[in-house]
Amino acid sequence: MSGTISLEAVTKHFPGGVVAVNELSLEVEPGEFLVLVGPSGCGKTTALRMVAGLEPVTAGQIRINDKIVTKLPPRDRDIAMVFQNYALYAHMSVRGNMGFGLKMARMPKDEIRRRVDEAAAMLGLVDYLDRKPRQLSGGQRQRVAMGRAIVREPAAFLMDEPLSNLDAKLRVEMRGEIIRVQRRIAAPTLYVTHDQTEAMTMGDRVAILRDGVLQQLGTPDEIYDNPVNVFVAGFIGSPSMNLITARMDGTGVVFDRTRVEIPPATMTGRPGLAAYTGREVVVGIRPEDFRAEDDATVELKVNRVESLGSELMAYLDGGQEGFEITARLERSAQVQEGERARLAVDRERLYFFDPETGEAIG
Amino acid sequence: MTTLSGRLLKTVAVLAIVVWSLGPIVLGVLTSISTQRDVASVPSHWLPHDATTTAYHELLQGTRGAAAGGTVTEAGTFTRSMWNSTQLALETTAITLIVSTMAAYAFGRLRFRFGGPVLAVLVGTMVIPIFVIVISLFQVLADAHLIDTKRGLILVFVSTLTPLATWLLYTQVKEMPPEPEEAALIDGCRRWQAFVRVVVPQMSSGIAAVAAILVLSVWGEFLIPLLLTSTMNAKPVTVQITEYVGKYTTNYPILAAAGVLALIPPAIVALLLNKRIAGMLAGSS
Repeated sequence: MSGTISLEAVTKHFPGGVVAVNELSLEVEPGEFLVLVGPSGCGKTTALRMVAGLEPVTAGQIRINDKIVTKLPPRDRDIAMVFQNYALYAHMSVRGNMGFGLKMARMPKDEIRRRVDEAAAMLGLVDYLDRKPRQLSGGQRQRVAMGRAIVREPAAFLMDEPLSNLDAKLRVEMRGEIIRVQRRIAAPTLYVTHDQTEAMTMGDRVAILRDGVLQQLGTPDEIYDNPVNVFVAGFIGSPSMNLITARMDGTGVVFDRTRVEIPPATMTGRPGLAAYTGREVVVGIRPEDFRAEDDATVELKVNRVESLGSELMAYLDGGQEGFEITARLERSAQVQEGERARLAVDRERLYFFDPETGEAIG
Repeated sequence: MTTLSGRLLKTVAVLAIVVWSLGPIVLGVLTSISTQRDVASVPSHWLPHDATTTAYHELLQGTRGAAAGGTVTEAGTFTRSMWNSTQLALETTAITLIVSTMAAYAFGRLRFRFGGPVLAVLVGTMVIPIFVIVISLFQVLADAHLIDTKRGLILVFVSTLTPLATWLLYTQVKEMPPEPEEAALIDGCRRWQAFVRVVVPQMSSGIAAVAAILVLSVWGEFLIPLLLTSTMNAKPVTVQITEYVGKYTTNYPILAAAGVLALIPPAIVALLLNKRIAGMLAGSS
């Protein structure tokens, strides 16, 4: 099955002047799993609801499978949607829930039964078909919601934070399950979440939204390696990237009493950087790019150490009140709370941003 | 010690409530199976000497002449009034539920111009006492030739009860998550199909509760039917019972028998819907 979801400069103004989504353009390609991610209130759910037809579009155009659907009611868009709170029909059985869309489409009973049975087998719901939603666990309800979506064999899937109501362990499990089902169905999927881990692990591509404006669209690796601005840099990655304001002295950056030499390859790779000599830049260092080594680049006081079992999280004094630098270290690293730690920074992996605009320096 | 006195206090309180609520009913039942002589004797005794169903017979089949001591009954009139009450209650409830469920959904979910103010005005009419408008109401119904008709009464009941019913159901719509009906819209429903197939079933516990309130309200109506009816064409049981109060003397067993019989239908409704409401509440959580 092939199909696309495409948004062209889609804008949503709410009464009262709030611009929830501002000229959002993106295209979900055939079979692609595209994750729309951003902090709460960034407009991602509004964008999804506009694609679903549940929210009128102020300006712009939406196409599903090359058909303009901007003004069509939801039932004419050939989509299926999975909601955060499952939105099951409480008075219907699992079978009734899954077959409802097909029944509305006046599909023959045998065909409905066949498709529901097939989807139930795929989702491990065969034993629950006669139960009511309230007799199911959260994970099972989520599967029913998925099942209701897939039996329709829609041109496109929409998912609005489908995992947020599940506990952590089940969430990881369902992540894999959703991906598995989507790969099998191969319909373009627009998936909304606030959880960057979900975005990075599930998305073929990830679109990051902030205040209704698309910040960056790319594969998880592209976004992780080349965030276009400070917002994306801080949002993607867990724990967040350390963003340190430092002075550029031509071949290195200085903050507090520490100087980090910038490798020549980086200087040539980012020609814009030289222009910042003598000025301040925002340097980004991912927590995982620190190593505890004697061949140290920086030496900082350790405020706090947390052990995660497999690794250590060290919170280092950033020189100013309340500013801490996070370093993710091997469990064998010798760091003591209250003492100074000697750490090496992977200098190839430094990020640079303009302190005024927050844009990446290229 | 404290628990003992606490339990004692609780028992006394419960007993008081039971006596308070069941007392009049028990008294009514006892009176209805007594003879007029027992009831009228001084000092009166609570328990009848010889329990008898005479009062019920006389109520349903008519009294013969002056034997009833001022109260005159005719065969068929009481049953007719019961039937009138039943029809009024059921039809009013059905129409009010249809109107107010749709209104509550519209006010709660759809965005339309002046929705808020219209709801406020509708609900605001609840504070107007019926006495204020009853004279003009009579005029309006008289002009429309609806005096002494069930249709006229139903019209009045529906319009006086719709604001309350709409308000109660509106609060329920507001508490319901909108996602199931949105899912229905995506699943191929038009708005009204989503309403009928998904919203109404979701509201069923609230609708049952409101139905009970409506049936009981209509059954208990007295003033409006007293003023707007005159014959057995539309007279409900509440009004008919007053006819058993004689000019000089009253046959209390007959009056009590009428009261007892008039209690049965609302009691059944309360019991039936009570069970349903409780079941719904238990199932939803």
